[in-house]
Amino acid sequence: MTDTRIEVTGLHKSFGTLDVLRGIDFTVPRGTSTVLLGPSGSGKTTVLRSLNVLDTPDRGVIRIDEVSVDFATLPPGKAGRAASQRLRAQSGMVFQSHNLFPHRTVLQNLIEGPVVAQKRPVDEVVAEARVLLDQVGLADRADSYPHQLSGGQQQRVGIARALALKPRVVLFDEPTSALDPELVGEVLAVIKDLAAQGWTTVIVTHEIRFAEHVADQVLFLDGGVIVERGSAAQVIGDPQEERTRRFLRRVLDHG
Amino acid sequence: MRQVIRGAVLLLLLLIVVPAPATAQQPVVRVGTEGTYPPFSFHDPQTAELTGYDIEVVKAIAAKAGWRLEFVETQWDAIFPALDASRIDLVANQVSRNEERAAKYGLSTPYTHSRGVIVRRTGDTRINSIADLRGRTTAQSSTSNWAKVARDAGATVEAVEGFAQAAALLAQGRVDAIVNDNIAVLDYLATTGSKDVEIAGDAGQAGSVQVLALRKTDASLLSQANQAIDALRADGTLRTISQKYFKADVSVEDGGTADLSQGRGRRSTWDVLRSTAWPMFVGLVKVTIPLTALSFTIGLILALLVALARISPYRVLSGLARAFISIIRGTPLLLQLFIVFYGLPQIGLKFPPFTAAVVAFSLNVAGYAAEVVRSAILSVPRGQFEAAATIGFGYAQSLRRIVLPQAARTAVPPLSNTLLSLLKDTSLGSVVLLTELFRESQLAAAESNEFLALYSFAGLYYWLICVALSAGQKRLETRLNRYVIA
Repeated sequence: MTDTRIEVTGLHKSFGTLDVLRGIDFTVPRGTSTVLLGPSGSGKTTVLRSLNVLDTPDRGVIRIDEVSVDFATLPPGKAGRAASQRLRAQSGMVFQSHNLFPHRTVLQNLIEGPVVAQKRPVDEVVAEARVLLDQVGLADRADSYPHQLSGGQQQRVGIARALALKPRVVLFDEPTSALDPELVGEVLAVIKDLAAQGWTTVIVTHEIRFAEHVADQVLFLDGGVIVERGSAAQVIGDPQEERTRRFLRRVLDHG
Repeated sequence: MRQVIRGAVLLLLLLIVVPAPATAQQPVVRVGTEGTYPPFSFHDPQTAELTGYDIEVVKAIAAKAGWRLEFVETQWDAIFPALDASRIDLVANQVSRNEERAAKYGLSTPYTHSRGVIVRRTGDTRINSIADLRGRTTAQSSTSNWAKVARDAGATVEAVEGFAQAAALLAQGRVDAIVNDNIAVLDYLATTGSKDVEIAGDAGQAGSVQVLALRKTDASLLSQANQAIDALRADGTLRTISQKYFKADVSVEDGGTADLSQGRGRRSTWDVLRSTAWPMFVGLVKVTIPLTALSFTIGLILALLVALARISPYRVLSGLARAFISIIRGTPLLLQLFIVFYGLPQIGLKFPPFTAAVVAFSLNVAGYAAEVVRSAILSVPRGQFEAAATIGFGYAQSLRRIVLPQAARTAVPPLSNTLLSLLKDTSLGSVVLLTELFRESQLAAAESNEFLALYSFAGLYYWLICVALSAGQKRLETRLNRYVIA
């Protein structure tokens, strides 16, 4: 139990008449990387956004460490929002299009959350932020504005911003999809480092080779359910389901 | 967010409860007068003090009756509404006695006997008597007794603010005639030396009398006034004042023919401008700028609240915001100002002039700026809200620290337009008893007839401030753009 960082049970979500999630169950052990694969519209991004409550599931239970929310019984209004926010605080999110704050410098982007929302002392947060920037190779860009950086650098700042919150889990939503091909490598390298350092990560990506390399667990989704799950070697190397095979063929042909 | 709301409410309350001037032992009587109707009520060009026959008479009455006076200057058509709304207690501005007024107001015993005359363009022989006004156009204060005389004679009345404006319209050929008091006309002719207009003849009926007008309910004030007028007539004070202005006693019937041939002395355009520049500057600094700044600040805060209500998922809230915006943008600003100043007192909400103007102008700014703020907020990418949420921000924090600073970039150019419009729109304050920049130029123009020079000069003041504001806008835009343009 203590070694399970994330536990998702019976997750359902629909947008209007469209059922995007139709019963999702999985667990993520502490210090491991889980990769969600699937064609577009399969629901993988919705799963990730549910973990962060950017999308609110209709029902199902999400537990990250000691914080657990049962969405079927989530009260409306303030109490519900408070519960959602507690769960959200457990994870850091890296967006596809980085979503850095353009009016803040790199350093300010990192310390905004810890200082203002978590109310931690500025000195301490700044010191940690500089270590993180060093770790993603941007120690010298602390005072730059996001628009002065390359796409790959921006995404690395995005990762550092998520880490600065000291989350239990780091979520990646197609972190390299918006990047020029030659910039993908530097971002994947940083994510690989994190996994090696023992961060618990959940990653939505189309980079199959990267997934193979980094994932401890691969979940293949289609039509709002998990079709196949297992180690990277199992799911990517020797898929059992026809849908998984078709997807991999298509992606690898293009990749 | 909560502090902002609290601050705004506090500020509004503060303005509303700003105390009226403290009452001493003597009762304060607020006297409504035009200040632009020489030689009865005007500003002495040398001292800029309010003076004239009516002013001196009412001062003498106050001395006898033991009142303290407070003069409130406004254009004629706003005088009776102001009396009705208890913004003034008494009108001293050559109010002619007629039946309608006698029925509605408390009218004093007469202190002026005069007759109406018809004024025409020099040499316009089509107009010789009151009968010739049928089918013609005259220029009058629309609610004046002279307007009634003209209408009764079958003329169409163009509404103007004061005699000087009427004379200008006549000289320019925009109207055919004016009906007015012979003394006012003689004063105009003597002061301006104008050869453009002339007296064509008497306006029908024999004579008329001018009185003070009070509210019907102020019976004791009226009897004090009447006693004082009688006493002043008896001791010769009225005659002395009248002789000073008219070289005749107009306070009694047949007191001689008024002679104003000396005029009040003419001054060069340059002199007029020089003596008006300072009062206009004072009007700018003491009223126009504070009114603009305060209304814009409060208006922006309200605009933000309205914009947030407008985009909120709560139907009632967004509906109210939508209705507010629609009403503000769908009605004239002048009308909004009149509703606040003249309308609300009828349901017990009476603000001093400055406060009333701030209320009206800030609501107006809120209506227009709310849409600007709303679209600026919506122009910030959704991802910014989401990123703010993931770093632990609630709604208010996201708004204040992440969304609004970015929205400001989009909002500054259109909001600057709103500010510039507001600055110029404050000139409407002149109709709600505010002596701001434009009103000062009106006062001076009425006394000197230097319309072109004075209004151009006032325009120069407005323009200079707008230039300064535009420069400020540019600097602000550069600042806000620093994180977008490398």
